[in-house]
Amino acid sequence: MAVKIRLKRLGKKKAPFYRIVVADSRSPRDGRFIEEIGTYNPRTNPTSVTIDEEAAKKWLSNGAQPTETVGRLFKQAGITK
Amino acid sequence: MSLDKQPNQKNLIGNKQEQDISVIDKAMQETIELSILYDFYGELLTENNKEVFVDYIFNDLSLSEIAEDKGITRQGVHDIIKRSSKKLREYEESLHLVKKFKTIEDKVNRIKSIIKELSLDNKEVSDGLLQEMNDLADDILHDL
Repeated sequence: MAVKIRLKRLGKKKAPFYRIVVADSRSPRDGRFIEEIGTYNPRTNPTSVTIDEEAAKKWLSNGAQPTETVGRLFKQAGITK
Repeated sequence: MSLDKQPNQKNLIGNKQEQDISVIDKAMQETIELSILYDFYGELLTENNKEVFVDYIFNDLSLSEIAEDKGITRQGVHDIIKRSSKKLREYEESLHLVKKFKTIEDKVNRIKSIIKELSLDNKEVSDGLLQEMNDLADDILHDL
């Protein structure tokens, strides 16, 4: 089973807020996810990013694939090189 | 897609890091901008284009995942996203709803922070701040 790490937009209309979630790649759109491992809030200044580093590393080492967007965030946060 | 980028990352040396971060921000900024445009004008897209756009911009699916899901080519998905983004930007060009929303939001937030400032510091209500709030309120009404 392929597992993906995605950045999902939530939040009210006109007020974006994102969660970094681990989800089964077969159910990309039904909104279900296995675990939330972080948040991304562009509405604060500066943008606030929280990532559960331990969980992120655990999922990555178990073969979970981050999307390009999440890959960049991880890199920015120093979780991956 | 992200895989072919891996080898390059090894070549990154110290001072390149910063450059890289601005690229990250730019890509993310565009995603955020498009998602906000969608909040305002999304209903004007066709049902099918809406789904593709939401999958890409809101749910962070890849072009190939959407292509597989929809039974169209990757290029087809790419075209839909390009076209939809262009449409949303054109609506904003003509109607400026996002721009107006942001201007008003900024002013309301400023009013809120003045109120907070006044109540926190237990400061004497100054004429200056009252005047500023009144001006902001006038601006907002004017913008509506």
